[in-house]
Amino acid sequence: MLSDRLREAASDLRYRFRALVHRDAMEHELDDELRFHIDREAAKLSRAGAPPDLALRQARLAFGGLDRAKEASRDARGVSFVETTLQDLTVAIRGLRRQPAFLLATVATLALGIGANTAMFSVVNSVLLKPLAYHDPDRLVVVWPGHGAAKAVYQQFQAQCHSCEQLEGVQGAWPMSLTGAGAPQRLLVSQATTGLFDLLGAHALLGRTFHPGEQVPGHDRVAVLSYALWAGRFGADSGIIGRPITLDGVQRTVIGVMDPGFAALPRNTELYVPATMNSADYADYWWVSSLSLYARLRPGVTAAAAQAEFMGIVDRVRPTFSHRMPDAWGKDLIVAPMQEAVVSRARPTLVLLVGAVALVLLVACVNVANLVVGRTANREHELALRTALGAAPSRLVRQLLTESMLLGVLGGVAGVALAAVGLRALVAVLPANTPRIGEIRVDGRVLVFTATLAILTGVAFGLLPALGAVRASLRDALGAAGRTAGGAMARRRASELLVVAQIALAVILVTASGLVIKSFLRLQDVDPGFHPEHVIAAEVPLPSFTADSVPREKVFYASVLDHARTVPGVSGAAVALVVPLGGAESDGVMDLESRPVQPGESRTNLQMNTVSADYFSVMGIPVLRGRPFTDADRDGAPLVAIVDATAAKTLWPNAEALGQRIKYVYLKDTWITVVGVVGAIKYDSLSGGEQPSVYLPIGQSTYAETMNLVLRSTADAGTEAARIRAAVAAVNPDVPVGQVRRLTDIVGDTALARRSVMLLLSMFAAVALLLGAVGIYGVVAYAVTRRTREIGVRLALGAVASDIVRMVAGESSRLVAGGVAIGLAGAFAATRLLSRFLFGVAPHDPWVFAIVPIVLALTAVLASVMPTARAVRVDPVEAIRSEG
Amino acid sequence: MTEPSLDLPQGTLDLLILKALSLGPQHGWAVSERLHHVSLETLSIPQGSLYPALHRLERRGWITAQWGASDNNRRAKYYELTRTGRAQLRTEAEAWAKLTAAVALVLKMA
Repeated sequence: MLSDRLREAASDLRYRFRALVHRDAMEHELDDELRFHIDREAAKLSRAGAPPDLALRQARLAFGGLDRAKEASRDARGVSFVETTLQDLTVAIRGLRRQPAFLLATVATLALGIGANTAMFSVVNSVLLKPLAYHDPDRLVVVWPGHGAAKAVYQQFQAQCHSCEQLEGVQGAWPMSLTGAGAPQRLLVSQATTGLFDLLGAHALLGRTFHPGEQVPGHDRVAVLSYALWAGRFGADSGIIGRPITLDGVQRTVIGVMDPGFAALPRNTELYVPATMNSADYADYWWVSSLSLYARLRPGVTAAAAQAEFMGIVDRVRPTFSHRMPDAWGKDLIVAPMQEAVVSRARPTLVLLVGAVALVLLVACVNVANLVVGRTANREHELALRTALGAAPSRLVRQLLTESMLLGVLGGVAGVALAAVGLRALVAVLPANTPRIGEIRVDGRVLVFTATLAILTGVAFGLLPALGAVRASLRDALGAAGRTAGGAMARRRASELLVVAQIALAVILVTASGLVIKSFLRLQDVDPGFHPEHVIAAEVPLPSFTADSVPREKVFYASVLDHARTVPGVSGAAVALVVPLGGAESDGVMDLESRPVQPGESRTNLQMNTVSADYFSVMGIPVLRGRPFTDADRDGAPLVAIVDATAAKTLWPNAEALGQRIKYVYLKDTWITVVGVVGAIKYDSLSGGEQPSVYLPIGQSTYAETMNLVLRSTADAGTEAARIRAAVAAVNPDVPVGQVRRLTDIVGDTALARRSVMLLLSMFAAVALLLGAVGIYGVVAYAVTRRTREIGVRLALGAVASDIVRMVAGESSRLVAGGVAIGLAGAFAATRLLSRFLFGVAPHDPWVFAIVPIVLALTAVLASVMPTARAVRVDPVEAIRSEG
Repeated sequence: MTEPSLDLPQGTLDLLILKALSLGPQHGWAVSERLHHVSLETLSIPQGSLYPALHRLERRGWITAQWGASDNNRRAKYYELTRTGRAQLRTEAEAWAKLTAAVALVLKMA
């Protein structure tokens, strides 16, 4: 029985294949066969006495519809699907070539919508969906994301974690000075535990990665270069392995160059050095180091299970610190999939943009649907004729759908081309800190996505007009095919509904972008607490040979300041460890004399900054009480600190901050007296709150660190940059001055991410608005054409231009009002999803919701100007005489 | 075509064609003639509907087709039962006999 089934299936396949390949031959055979039948029948009839021509006619009659029999035989052959589609396509192509304007308009509109979606999906695919470019990425997790672990903690974790097949850490990327070979250069360096590359499955292109022994002090003077650094600075010199380089005054041997395909971690790292594990270096081992931890879990172990294990581990690690840690330490440790940790930051933005771009495609679809409705109206005659000749309605719908899918596919092809070109522009507008931004490209998955989208789009904009047209043609089939009132009315209603939908969608997008624009403007109004105008900042690294000498650090920066003050245009100069809003972090905790911390209690996190005497005046930060630092605040003088207003309020809520004493947690009996209170400033972002801050004078610093020069200057940054470099070179020619930037630019950059969202959203809204305007134009223009005769009659009866304008305007304002009302309701529901992108603006901001209808009304007026002008110029005599 | 005639129940045309071909290879017109005469002209089979059925049976592998010379020396397409077709004819004929017998029985009893 089964073999019968198989044989039947095989026969079926063979037959269908033959029928498909030898289509023409089989078509001939069918003709011959049927002709033979009719001839025989006719011969039989004429033998019975009928004259030959009558016999033939009777034979045909007896046979029934010849074409229907042929069609049914084709169906029986089982290939008619392909054949019919090919036939429909031929018809569609022929029809479209006769109407190049329609073809161009639809394909261009679809290309815009599909192209934008393809580009956006390329971003989502590369950033969010594709697995990380590391070995077996599903088992990679990040431990304690957003929180660095001291080397001492890392080594205990590594020894105790049983869920982890491997646990590694990396810290960076920090700027270091490369000196010796050629001009001094600042490089972004990360220190990695020696197994990091193995963990990620990354290989060296030249040489090797780290050996486990290279974490031991004395054996750690090695370096691995990124491919970009090797190809750039070192000119792709294959003899680089074994060569010495000098980093921050320390000589290291180059042991490897990474593969160009290696996605650096952290992503801007140019050079790796091993993280030295030296428990004798107390500060580095327990305090200063802050490794981001990554692990490969054992097969079958979940992140949740690993996290549960770590909860026990942190309890065992907490008491190993030399002083008591807060009881809450480690309680916030979580274990999360690495992919999630890398990309989650980008998700909300991308989801928002995908939503917006999908709306754009929807608007484009509606627009094209409207064009198609208009076009099918012109073909009503043809459709009605075919219906009368017995074509099944489903057959007509199918043909119209084939056409719209052809348009969709053409739009898709053009869209992919557009996306390939536009993707670079899109990536340039995206926030620069978007993870994996370098991996964004169009790949196979994107193409599959686009193909699906193109076909769905074709169905989406084609189905409604097709059904409508066929229904109309059925109704009209027997009447005077063409302009019957019923069909035209239904069509006009459909087209008007489409325009209303379009306007509603545009309103949602315009409202969203309005809210984001207002947020952005609000952000510009935020007072950062300092005056960034005319302030220039430049990183001036420590000369490497004094890297570990605190007194020489102070001498170096003092002479840099002396030289900087002589630069023309400079009216004030200072150095600071941290430039606010510059992206660098320096937070810490201090003990208060007035309120000793209970054992196990957490201290207030403070923003720490080390600055020179004139810092507050250069930055324009007001000194509220007490005094600023002076050059007399140096080693040997009483230890002093300045706090900002927020710290004064937070640390001593019921007492005057001046005269209070604070100290480092790990230094005994070195109390520092608060001598001044200054205005609070924004450190992290303009949209964030103020963090309590503590300032310490560079003259009393205990740790040599790279400082930033801040200058108040009337000259522009470009001119000043060269002068600053010259001034620093005069002090020490081996010091590579980092980027010289205006503080206003640094402040502006904090809003970059918001800026990209704003730009993209506004662009999408503008496209939607434009398409909406095209839709309004089309409907109004059609209305004017339709009512030309009526307008002529009115003009002849004494109507003046304003009456006609009112009449035409009434037509479009009804649609706009409907669309705006629906759109505003939609926006009211949708903008709630936007709250995380808003700043200082409620999702239902009344101003934005009031302005959007005005924008739409103006758009509608603009779109109606041309057809209205045409209506006013109608010649009554001509109009009345014409058919109308 | 004035004599009263019966429409074929759905699906029985295939069975009739298989039966007509069981006596030997025939071309389409001969099958049509045969069915018309053998049924004593009581079955109304539109000649045009024969061909889709023949093509369908061919696709399923129950009959094969071959071009050959007809009795008046014209090229004609001859259909012939295959082994599966013969088996199919047997099964369907039995099923038909059972069905009609059962229906007749019910009609007589009730």
